[in-house]
Amino acid sequence: MQNLTFFANIKLYVGFTDASSAALRELHPIAVPFFQPIVDDFYAAIEDHPGARQAITGGAAQIERLKQTLIRWMDKMLLGPHDEDYYELRARIGRMHVRIALPQQYMLTAMDRIRVRLLDVVRTRIGDDAAKVERIGTAVNQILDLELAIMLETYREDLESKHRNAERLATIGQFAASIGHELRNPLGVVESSLYLLRQHLKAEADVPAVKKHLDRIGAEVVRANKTIHDLLDLARNRPPQRRPTSLRELVDSAAEAALLPAAMTLHASIPPELTLNIDPDQTRQVLANLFINSSQALKGRGQIWVEGERSADGDVRVRVRDDGPGIPAEDRGRVFEALYTTKAKGSGLGLALCRRIMEAQGGGIEIEQRSDGASFLLTFPAGEPG
Amino acid sequence: MGTKSSNSVLVVDDNQDLAENIAEILVLHGYAVVIATSAEEALPKALPQGPALLVTDFRLPGISGAELVRQVRQRRRHVRAVVISAYTDDRTVAAAREAGADFLPKPVDFGALSRILDAA
Repeated sequence: MQNLTFFANIKLYVGFTDASSAALRELHPIAVPFFQPIVDDFYAAIEDHPGARQAITGGAAQIERLKQTLIRWMDKMLLGPHDEDYYELRARIGRMHVRIALPQQYMLTAMDRIRVRLLDVVRTRIGDDAAKVERIGTAVNQILDLELAIMLETYREDLESKHRNAERLATIGQFAASIGHELRNPLGVVESSLYLLRQHLKAEADVPAVKKHLDRIGAEVVRANKTIHDLLDLARNRPPQRRPTSLRELVDSAAEAALLPAAMTLHASIPPELTLNIDPDQTRQVLANLFINSSQALKGRGQIWVEGERSADGDVRVRVRDDGPGIPAEDRGRVFEALYTTKAKGSGLGLALCRRIMEAQGGGIEIEQRSDGASFLLTFPAGEPG
Repeated sequence: MGTKSSNSVLVVDDNQDLAENIAEILVLHGYAVVIATSAEEALPKALPQGPALLVTDFRLPGISGAELVRQVRQRRRHVRAVVISAYTDDRTVAAAREAGADFLPKPVDFGALSRILDAA
């Protein structure tokens, strides 16, 4: 197989060509009046089914939004252009299904409902030209096969990424535990020897040239102990201990923990009454990690915005964004994987830990596509009020 | 730093440098100190008579620190013991407490250690 993209490859496989695109464009004006009934039927089926319904947490308002999205989805499906941007857009929608944990079997059957209804339109509304009906019907089948392939690909990507992550975290955990504990002993010797050295030196310990180095040893021992502590924390994988937590206070304490340089400005826009039932220590670590990443990407000079609000569906979404260089598209899929890092001095643990913490709390973390800076969206599910 | 020369401490750690450093710091704090680098070496120094205070690492080659505390305190109830460890998981801490010892994580906070020992 030559170097084809995933999309080019499956287009080739199902026989989708420019002629297929043209046939779909031909169908578009004929199909538009049927979009609304198709969409109504689509969501009626989901609402009737408890297993599918549970992926939709926002009630009627969310269904209404999703219906509009599906209409745009069909519109784009028929109009094209069916290029790589199209693939990217579809893959994003697929990842959304993954994120809201819509089980694959419902995605499959839901897609089939659209196929049946659209082919019905083709059969009954195109007229007597059998060759045209055949041509357009084939194109509809082809594009829906492509859509299915893309959806399944996003489920597979997600599964692989999670699997890789779990494996890596487990490996790191074992290493971290043994190395971390091993290092604590020599550090303990250094620390206690430093203490004794200070005692023996008495007044001489305050001579600037001596003090400078004693202090350096002391500060570096503290830093090394902190790294070990973080590593062991990651290895331990403690379940979340939830308690009602003010989001605004949490952001403040995370900013403190991140030790942001003076030239980094943090703008927080969070309603004062916004309280979440979460593990405050772990969530603080998530926020602090994001702040530290922003600060490093901005070389210690720039802005971070934190916006939090409870949406109509009850979920709380917190956006952390900056005015830095952003995250290149090719890294976006992998930055949450353990040991994956784009920093010269990164451990590749920070965002992996963030994802694990958020998912353990039933929430999620994702990267938002933006042209200006990096933007992360944290989602905390509605659940019991804090 | 007080005058507790009547109080002696048995320090047990398989890292001899660390054992010596802990001993030296405790001496500075006014204690008399005996060192051992294993529980097997420590037992004859603690039984039937020995220091009233015991500071031991948890993970030792052979008999563990918690087991050492248990054996010593079985015969000498009044011995005050502190288990120190780089392992701070719940199991280690619980094992130390069940044996009748206080627990301190490594690296040892000497302020906290001397507060425990002074209270004995």
